[in-house]
Amino acid sequence: MRFIRLSFSQAWYNLRAYLRSARTVVLGVVMPVGLLVILSWVFAHQGQIAAAAGYRISAIAFYAGGLTAYGLLLGTFTGVMVAVVGAREAGWLKRFRAAPVPPGSYLTGQILFNVVISMALVFVMMAIASLVYGLHLRADALVALFAYTLLGVFCFTAIALAVTRLITTPEMGSSVGPFVAITLSFTSGVFLPPDLMPHWLVDVSNYLPLEPLAQSMQSALAHSSGTGLQLRTFLVLGVWAVVSFALARLTFKWQPLRR
Amino acid sequence: MTNVIEVQNLTKRFGRLVAVDDVSFAVKQGEIFGLLGENGAGKTTTIEILEGFQKPDKGSATVLGVNPLHGHRDWRDRIGLVLQESDFDPLHTVTETLSLFASFFSKPRNVAQTLEMVGLTDKAHERIGRLSGGQKRRIDVALGIIGHPDLLFLDEPTTGFDPVARREFWEVIEDLCRAGTSIVLTTHYMEEAERLCDRLAIMSKGQIVAEGTSQALISALGATTIRFELPLDVEPAAICAVAGVDFSVRDNVAAALLGDEVQDVLLRLLTWSRSTDRPLIGLEVVRPTLNDVFLGATGSES
Repeated sequence: MRFIRLSFSQAWYNLRAYLRSARTVVLGVVMPVGLLVILSWVFAHQGQIAAAAGYRISAIAFYAGGLTAYGLLLGTFTGVMVAVVGAREAGWLKRFRAAPVPPGSYLTGQILFNVVISMALVFVMMAIASLVYGLHLRADALVALFAYTLLGVFCFTAIALAVTRLITTPEMGSSVGPFVAITLSFTSGVFLPPDLMPHWLVDVSNYLPLEPLAQSMQSALAHSSGTGLQLRTFLVLGVWAVVSFALARLTFKWQPLRR
Repeated sequence: MTNVIEVQNLTKRFGRLVAVDDVSFAVKQGEIFGLLGENGAGKTTTIEILEGFQKPDKGSATVLGVNPLHGHRDWRDRIGLVLQESDFDPLHTVTETLSLFASFFSKPRNVAQTLEMVGLTDKAHERIGRLSGGQKRRIDVALGIIGHPDLLFLDEPTTGFDPVARREFWEVIEDLCRAGTSIVLTTHYMEEAERLCDRLAIMSKGQIVAEGTSQALISALGATTIRFELPLDVEPAAICAVAGVDFSVRDNVAAALLGDEVQDVLLRLLTWSRSTDRPLIGLEVVRPTLNDVFLGATGSES
């Protein structure tokens, strides 16, 4: 019970700072939403986009699904990196480690917080897609989206924790995060249909964490009948998450790197 | 009286540097124990071993009866830390930050009362990003004491304080001590150590070079210091011969630590001064201070 209470107060603490900081809100919500509005408007006449080889879906399903996945990566990966590195370099994590609390409650708090803001992002994206661009949303698609969002938050949090050992300042985190997100998004069928990419690049992207998530979210939104959850996505993101958590466990530093 | 801290033959190396070199001391329950030394003397490393952040290469440390490396939650519940350098999320208010940290402890102090103790009551609902460096340092102190610790570590707590704030802070520490908190303090302010510490240890190059109460350390040096400016045309050896004691001369100031012979020495000096018509400019006859102890023990000029 104490663990849960501590996790929630940590999540609330993060959420309060998030709501007070214009920069993080712009990065996490305004940017993906803005891209959704612009790209869907520009490509609306396309009608159908090839989301994968021999698999065409509507432009709005393509962009709503892909950009939601992109927003999750951008927000969670960057957010966790900046929050953890910032807290570490300020000496807060050192202080936290010396306090009579289970260290895991900090991590759980981060995940909870990111689940909350990610759900808010998904909600806003789906509201715009359906109200403005007429995307038909079914209940089972929303359930699938919910499950993929949880998976994405877990996976991107884990990867962010695993790289914090290399990130020396929060400023570095806030430039590395968007760089990784934008680079991956070009190879993962978020902005551009994957059939414009070289085959080998598509093959590699299939095993990186963004492509499976983007593709699963796109197909959840595109199908007129239920699709179920894609096992491949859970496998790829699950392996990334497990390996990253293991790496983070070995390399994570509670004390400031700069001394 | 029981010891809250026992340290034996503690050694810690960083590569070739021996940061802490065979250090032993004990801190009694209810006392304020000071670790003095220049920057890099090994104070912070010693404290970090006691806090459980660093693993010693040799020797043992026991804090509240426990090896700090294996200190569990109920052990950490009894310990407060004021770290040497830290910063806070600028977007939260002082009260929000303190409330979160207070929730980590089993018997926390009231947040408003803690703010009162460190003199931040009027900043309670200010965002931390709008506070000055000295005010942030008070948050550090507030976080150190909010868990109602039995043992409090203070690593150079008043660095960056103005003289008034420093005096107010000393009163806070004395109040905590009266209420039964044992305190370990590092500082390089001699005045602070002399005022606060029941006992202190002076560290230099990783070793403890002097230990005891500040009065005992001062008395051990001798009762009195004589100091004056050496006239430019007088050789140091000549003045030593006149006075019958060895003066150390540094920056043209002659100084000596004296015991009972102080009156005779003064008489000889003044007689010589009158008969040769050479005034002894800036002549001082003072009790030695902790600063003299420190300079003598660490062999450094400050």
